[in-house]
Amino acid sequence: MAAPLVVRESRQLALISCSVMFREMATVVAQSPNVIDFQFLPKGLHDLGCEQMSSRLQHCIDAIDSEKYEAILLGYGLCNNGIAGLTARQLPLVVPRAHDCIALFMGSRHRYAQYFSDNPGTYFRTTGWIERSGIDGELSQLTVQHQTGMDQTLQEFIDKYGEDNGRFLFDQLGEHRRNYTKQAFIEMGIEPDGSHEQIARDEAADRDWEFEKIRGDMSIFRRLVDGDWDAADFLVVPPGHRISASYDHERIVDTEPVG
Amino acid sequence: MELQPLYQAILDGDQKEAVTITQAAIDAGMDPDEVVKKYMISAMDEVGRRFENNEFFVPELLIAARAMKSSLGLLRPLLVESGVQSAGSVAVGTVKGDLHDIGKNLVAAMMEGAGFDVFDLGVDVSAEQFVEAVTEQKVQVICLSALLTTTMANMPATIEALTEAGVRDQVKVLIGGAPITQKFADDIGADGYGDNASAAVTQARQLIA
Repeated sequence: MAAPLVVRESRQLALISCSVMFREMATVVAQSPNVIDFQFLPKGLHDLGCEQMSSRLQHCIDAIDSEKYEAILLGYGLCNNGIAGLTARQLPLVVPRAHDCIALFMGSRHRYAQYFSDNPGTYFRTTGWIERSGIDGELSQLTVQHQTGMDQTLQEFIDKYGEDNGRFLFDQLGEHRRNYTKQAFIEMGIEPDGSHEQIARDEAADRDWEFEKIRGDMSIFRRLVDGDWDAADFLVVPPGHRISASYDHERIVDTEPVG
Repeated sequence: MELQPLYQAILDGDQKEAVTITQAAIDAGMDPDEVVKKYMISAMDEVGRRFENNEFFVPELLIAARAMKSSLGLLRPLLVESGVQSAGSVAVGTVKGDLHDIGKNLVAAMMEGAGFDVFDLGVDVSAEQFVEAVTEQKVQVICLSALLTTTMANMPATIEALTEAGVRDQVKVLIGGAPITQKFADDIGADGYGDNASAAVTQARQLIA
């Protein structure tokens, strides 16, 4: 006779995540032993500058019902200090130690650091980076690029500054990826088919970039939602503390008391 | 000869006009040092002021610097000939592993606009290359740029390399870039932090004054 199944206890967790990892998070949430409510925020927050990004994230954190959950999970890396300063009020915050989401897709900040060092000038693509990296609506007006006048088309530059200066400006500002030489598609194993990879391959060909497909790793996403928060790989911010950046490649994020 | 239009041409980012007036000033035998300091650098200072007041944005700053650079190109041989000293010498570069150059280019352009001799080391610049700029080019200031927290750690590494090479006390280190803060500059022992390209010029002037 089979042993009776032991019903395990579920934890109630809230997840706030960048939508760039929507498919990965949705997959691990569906398979997690925990009960997780999630909300996805636009990838465009990344382009608002760190203060705007963190203030919007804090707003979402503060709106979460602290009676209902045990902890708030953050589906973010340090994201150019976009999570620096986020404060845990009643509930702990849990965040993976990572400079940005590429480390999460690769499953290890060490693997990412090695790849980054061996392959400078690589642009990364995943399903989310293809499907959800556009910025529209209100956010497009608030990006650093827009606020500093950098995000204009060639025609807009020419209309405003004349033919000669317009072309010069587009050359200077229109292509922030001009020094990149390679595109890497991170395959997570949850893609519906080969379409995303093909898009990434085509983009690379259009830009005359080298292309590489690299194997992703779902483990950080999974451990985040399953509650497997080893201190080496995750930062747990206790109530009354906030996130600070440590500017290294090991800890990446730390906590400091508020006030 | 009235050179106020040169000031205006640089402020407007009108490269063609700036070059035409500069050539006329040279042909009229005007003192090149006076042309640069009284009209051109003061125009770029005004560009910087408007930029910091959000009256000018990145494009205005770039086209003004471009007009300045072209005019300066005509005057430079005369300045060298007459032994005129530049405002100072700086090396600018984006640190190792980081290939983003828009911010770095803005700093280089504004430094040139302020009359500095600028050595643009490019992107993905190793600590050794920065050290060389100090030992070989004898620059007074090095400006380190980084767009990513991933590459910020190469800023303290560069400062350490300067110390190891025994030249840390011969150069001032200015840092900047999207994730950089004054606190980080203080933590790693940099001499200054520029929140934007115009602020970097102000800092560089103060550091070598």
